[in-house]
Amino acid sequence: MNGILEVLRRGGFGQLLLTHIELSVLALLIGIAIAIPVALAVNRSPFWSAVAINIGNIGRSVPSLAILAFALPIFGLGFVPSLVALAALAIPPILINASTGLRQVDPKIVDAARGMGLSGRQILTGVQIPIAAPIIFAGIRTAAVQVVASATLATFIGGGGLGDLIVEGFQRNDIYIQLAGALSVAVLAIITELGFGFLERAFTPKGLKVARKRRGK
Amino acid sequence: MIEFKNVSKTYPGSTKPVVDGLSFEVLDGEICVLVGPSGCGKTTSMRMINRLIEPSSGQILIDGEPNTAMSGTKLRRKIGYAIQQIGLFPHRTIADNIAIVPQLLDWDKSRIKSRIEELLELVGLEPGQYRGRYPAELSGGQQQRVGVARALAADPPIMLMDEPFGAVDPINRSRLQDEFLRIQQEIRKTIVFVTHDIDEAIKMGDRIAILKEGGVLAQYDTPEEILTNPASNFVNDFVGKDRILKRLSLLRVGDMDLDPANGNGEGLPTLSDRLTVRDALSELMGAGVGRGVVQGDGDERRLLTMESIEALTKGARA
Repeated sequence: MNGILEVLRRGGFGQLLLTHIELSVLALLIGIAIAIPVALAVNRSPFWSAVAINIGNIGRSVPSLAILAFALPIFGLGFVPSLVALAALAIPPILINASTGLRQVDPKIVDAARGMGLSGRQILTGVQIPIAAPIIFAGIRTAAVQVVASATLATFIGGGGLGDLIVEGFQRNDIYIQLAGALSVAVLAIITELGFGFLERAFTPKGLKVARKRRGK
Repeated sequence: MIEFKNVSKTYPGSTKPVVDGLSFEVLDGEICVLVGPSGCGKTTSMRMINRLIEPSSGQILIDGEPNTAMSGTKLRRKIGYAIQQIGLFPHRTIADNIAIVPQLLDWDKSRIKSRIEELLELVGLEPGQYRGRYPAELSGGQQQRVGVARALAADPPIMLMDEPFGAVDPINRSRLQDEFLRIQQEIRKTIVFVTHDIDEAIKMGDRIAILKEGGVLAQYDTPEEILTNPASNFVNDFVGKDRILKRLSLLRVGDMDLDPANGNGEGLPTLSDRLTVRDALSELMGAGVGRGVVQGDGDERRLLTMESIEALTKGARA
């Protein structure tokens, strides 16, 4: 235990942690910035929605390490290539959930909205997005946890982050350094999961929570 | 007034029209029921009024103006809209659901608030109790009431209702129908009401448009006329073999021309003058006697006989 704490107190640890968080946050933001507008854009067309969801599914089945490996020959080594790879990783779950979430809104509700004279934009912002919010947030949470965990692999293409510790531990055959790296990543992933779970609940409209509780009875 | 002028609709990629050369008028303050078997284009016809669907040819005039004179969204804000599955917004409270159209029309807050109170009372939901609730917390019947209140929110002169009482059990449905007819007595809207149920059409309609497959108008008339003089075999079959009985449900015994009972009422069943003739006939048959005494709130007692009921149905033999 003391051995692990010693590693954590080392001067370099803070920097690795910061890089890891930076990589994850930026990758997630880029992923959101790409996936959400695409989901909104395809929302009106069943065909393009299906295309988006299928691309998302294919993207999700590619292993994280493979995506990082693809980034290497194209973008080279370092922080930016890692960021690009992680952003690519974040897109599929957000895209899938946002597209399905928006499409799953009961067509009768959308019809009523249209029949009362809401414009397409008003239906999207006032009806579809709030009703789909829990599903959209679940997608962002999945992406966030995946990005935090996969950022560990950035070390292989020189992206830095907590993966550096694990690799260093292997090279020096030092179990404490390995554990310090592994545990920090695990804790970071759990915090991410819990934090986004909280956000997901916070952004679920109260009426939907009531409905969910009623159905559960 | 709503006028259909030779309106047809054929969907792209199809050769058969769903609505074919429809022409009729809906008079102000009347409930016009569009009824017919599935595939007769009744919902399509209704949805062309507020341009949720655009006709392929022909024109729909509202108070003499083509309904294409303004944008679809602007038009729809002026026309109440209530549908079968209600379509309440699950993430908004009852009050916010009712407020949707007034908000789109930029009413000020206090006006919206008092309108919500007024409407909840009109449809029989206590405002203090229901205002802040969410749709999921209401029963099916209560949700339908909110659906009607929401359609009425901006006090539109015209309302479109697509099987608005379709999603509740028969007892609640009948209650909602009665309530709505009572409300209509007060508000006198011009209403286009879609149903597949001929009994509902007869009960709710001032005038009924019976459509047949392919969107052709088979008959447009008052319920009384349709039941007495069906225009074709199709109409005759559609209204059913019990059309004579259905006609009796249009009249209340209190409105019949009956002789005073005088001393003849001893031992006969007493019937409320609010009963429909059909229900009274059922009571007479249930009691096993051919006669009964009709009595209202007053003391007047009048004699109802099988002969007097038969006299009503003369000239309309099946």
